Amino acid sequence: MSTALPDATAALAGGGAQRRESLWSKAAWKFRRDRAGMAGLAVVLLYFIAALGVWTGLWATSWADIGGGKWEAVSATHWFGTNLIGQDIFERALYSVSTAFEVGLVVAVMATLLGALLGAMAGFFSGRFTDEVILWVMGVLDSIPFYLLVAAIAFALEGNPYAMHVAMISTFWITTGRLVRGEVIKLKNLEFVEAAHAIGVPEYTIILRHIIPNTLHILLVQSTITFVAAIKSEVILSFLGLGVKDGMSWGLMIAESTFEVLAGFFNNFLAASVLLFGLVMAFNMFADALQDALDPRQVS
Amino acid sequence: MSGQPLLRVRDLVVEFSTEHGVVRAVDRVSFDVFPNETLGLVGESGCGKTVTGLSILGLIPSPPGRIAGGSIQLDGRELVGLSESEFRRIRGRDVAMIFQEPMTALNPVFTIGSQMTDVLRRYKGLTRRQARAAAIELLAKVGIPAPDRRIDEYPHQLSGGMRQRVVIAMALSCGPKLIVADEPTTALDVTTQAQVLEQIVKLQQEFRMSMILVTHDLGVVAETCHRAIVMYCGRIAEKAEIGPLFGAPRHPYTVGLLESIPRVGVHEKEDLAVIPGMVPDLLHLPRGCRFADRCSRRQARCEEALPELDGDDESVTRVACFHPYERMS
Amino acid sequence: MTALLEIRNLQKHFPVRGGFLRRVVAQVKAVDGVSFKLEFGKTLGLVGESGCGKSTLGRAILQLQKPTGGQVILEGEDLTAASPARLLEMRREMQIIFQDPFASLSPRRTVAQTIREPLEVHHIGTPAERNRKVEELLQVVGMRSNVLDRYPHEFSGGQRQRIGIARALALNPKLIIADEPVSALDVSVRAQVLNLIAGLQREHGIAFLFISHDLSVVEHVSDHVGVMYLGKMVELAPAKEIYRDPRHPYTQALLSAVPVPDPKRKSKRIVLTGDVPSPMNPPPGCPFHKRCPKVMDVCSKVVPPVVDVGSADKPHRVACHLHS
Repeated sequence: MSTALPDATAALAGGGAQRRESLWSKAAWKFRRDRAGMAGLAVVLLYFIAALGVWTGLWATSWADIGGGKWEAVSATHWFGTNLIGQDIFERALYSVSTAFEVGLVVAVMATLLGALLGAMAGFFSGRFTDEVILWVMGVLDSIPFYLLVAAIAFALEGNPYAMHVAMISTFWITTGRLVRGEVIKLKNLEFVEAAHAIGVPEYTIILRHIIPNTLHILLVQSTITFVAAIKSEVILSFLGLGVKDGMSWGLMIAESTFEVLAGFFNNFLAASVLLFGLVMAFNMFADALQDALDPRQVS
Repeated sequence: MSGQPLLRVRDLVVEFSTEHGVVRAVDRVSFDVFPNETLGLVGESGCGKTVTGLSILGLIPSPPGRIAGGSIQLDGRELVGLSESEFRRIRGRDVAMIFQEPMTALNPVFTIGSQMTDVLRRYKGLTRRQARAAAIELLAKVGIPAPDRRIDEYPHQLSGGMRQRVVIAMALSCGPKLIVADEPTTALDVTTQAQVLEQIVKLQQEFRMSMILVTHDLGVVAETCHRAIVMYCGRIAEKAEIGPLFGAPRHPYTVGLLESIPRVGVHEKEDLAVIPGMVPDLLHLPRGCRFADRCSRRQARCEEALPELDGDDESVTRVACFHPYERMS
Repeated sequence: MTALLEIRNLQKHFPVRGGFLRRVVAQVKAVDGVSFKLEFGKTLGLVGESGCGKSTLGRAILQLQKPTGGQVILEGEDLTAASPARLLEMRREMQIIFQDPFASLSPRRTVAQTIREPLEVHHIGTPAERNRKVEELLQVVGMRSNVLDRYPHEFSGGQRQRIGIARALALNPKLIIADEPVSALDVSVRAQVLNLIAGLQREHGIAFLFISHDLSVVEHVSDHVGVMYLGKMVELAPAKEIYRDPRHPYTQALLSAVPVPDPKRKSKRIVLTGDVPSPMNPPPGCPFHKRCPKVMDVCSKVVPPVVDVGSADKPHRVACHLHS
């Protein structure tokens, strides 16, 4: 290969500008430059630490205790005051962070996994029987009103605390599934997949090794979007009495506050809605920045 | 070439800001286009030929791009610094553009007739009926069979070659003095390319227009242009009339390009001459001649200083090289 | 001597579905009865315009798209009848390189992972031996081994094409199908890759099926050239012959249409009228008759048979009524 070697050497010398970076590190570099995204991430991490503390029993252990009088004002002992029966609003609001994260994480992870798997299968076998069945299931689930579905599942599971999770997972995977299916249909006709076929790589290995890794950017962004949607739904469902029953949730706090607001006591309502707003806002900023950083049309 | 140039480009500099720094895509490029002349802009991807063409129509995407210096004069009028609305009045009427991919220039939801008559009515003030007649005539001119039927079709109903003809007809519709054609036949098949090229040459003579043909294909340049400019890394390497450019090229890059093309009818199954290495990264350009590290005639000076074009505007060929091949004959 | 590859009456039809219940309403005959032989270590160039079926033919040979009819015989064994296990073994003998250097490498896998994959799939060597083989292959295609852990997006088009070639070489194939391998590359890089391919053929005795729309490139690399039009092979001859004395009117037009970088050559160009018809409803008779400058009455009625107009040592097959 006497002809090939010298020019390749020159090629590599000329390519000194090429930085050693994977697509991920390039995306990370881009993400770090996004101020709003970084701020969002910082706030989300604060919330996450709060949730971790609750899970490990470091704080918010006495959220159910009655430690004061009715509707106490903000003070050193009760940072956000107390509610109708004298429970500490700060403790309850803090405890609710863990509820939100628990629901958000479980739903986001499960819905994304389900969406990735079914979406990839539908896309890879597009036009065939598998695809038709998955598309039909998506269509059916899509056509049932969300709150009706939750109520139905809650009823069917007879008060199981995970009824809400099941309902959300079974509807939230659909968007991810459709997006992944579209991406897979695009990917499976690309030449690197054909090359894998030509080498003799088995079909399931092609899906796992060559196709799904190339949908990770979609999965990551979708899971953050699902996370936010799950938190919001959890609050609404709890408010309606369809969600959290044995624990504490911002939705339950807002439900409690409906009487209080009429009486001119806003602590419960403000604590729950400000914390919810902060988390959703921060997560959305984070998700937007992540989407920009991972967009394959911009990462070249 | 005699007479006043239609287009005068002097020391044009176009820069793009990227994540990793400012890239100078076009670096002090000067040339003239005379009336009724076809000028070829040739080079490999990233050499700045397309950016040069776009800057004449004020189509540099900004940001990230901007014209950082120089002047572009059309018929004595300065174009650099014009506002978008002023450019909009010039585009189509004085200068028109033909793109590589005809689908990007055509709106898929309107018939080709409505797209053409739109332009004709706006710029030429024709009535609906006059505009339609003019459009049909233009379609016939660019070689579309049954133009009175085709005019009511949508772009997707036409083949690639037909679409490119429609785009050419639209470019011609307001009688521009200059057409910038960016790889107009690259997306087409060989036999279609031959048809379209022949049509372009014929129309250029018939309408007495000037044309800048941006292409990577030296064969296309040889068959359609009067003069050509070879660009490398944002700079002009060589500027010459077609005869001398192909007959006695002077810049080592031009020579290398010509030698590395396999030719029909010269059957030798042996290695092609090769320009070693690859185009340098525009972010990390060498100090000296940009072609130096791939050049067989490189000497110490080439790595120190950037060569400028020799000769003056009167010269038949001009080359930016310290050690060019000498002209034979 | 038996040929490395023999194609007999190969067909690949795609059903077009439409209407209620998505019934098959038509067939696109992408490849329609193509036959040829390819000797060991030789190159057959396949030219034609977009939609002529040349890429589909390449994929049908590799069984990436199951042929609808006909036989693909590699070293005496019919691939269309092979069991999946046997086909997997046969894949060692035949590989493919692609046109688009940006789509042909998986963006999230390193150079080493990409080139090593064929060795892993076919259980060749120990992990250490595979790594050594990968470095060796990189050297063969003219790249340094310090690129092993890099990702495809860090390379230029020409370098990516070299990586794709290294992947194809990993299994020491006897046949490589090169589908427009240099069309997406710049002129100066194109020559580098063409020389690399020629060198591989000289040193490793690999046979190439070289698919391209560029006649000058095909002439440069090929021993034989086949011209395709609407799924059919209209002319097949030694490269020198087909360029010196093209017999089919389509080949003649195709050759004369190539722009030549020589302003002194004033070619008498045969400019065809019209466009390539849709392969969904090709015209009856000769597929080329609607654009043919030498069309006769018989052309629209009877499909021209393939006849040999060459000599014994230089077969020159052409499907045209002018010669039958």
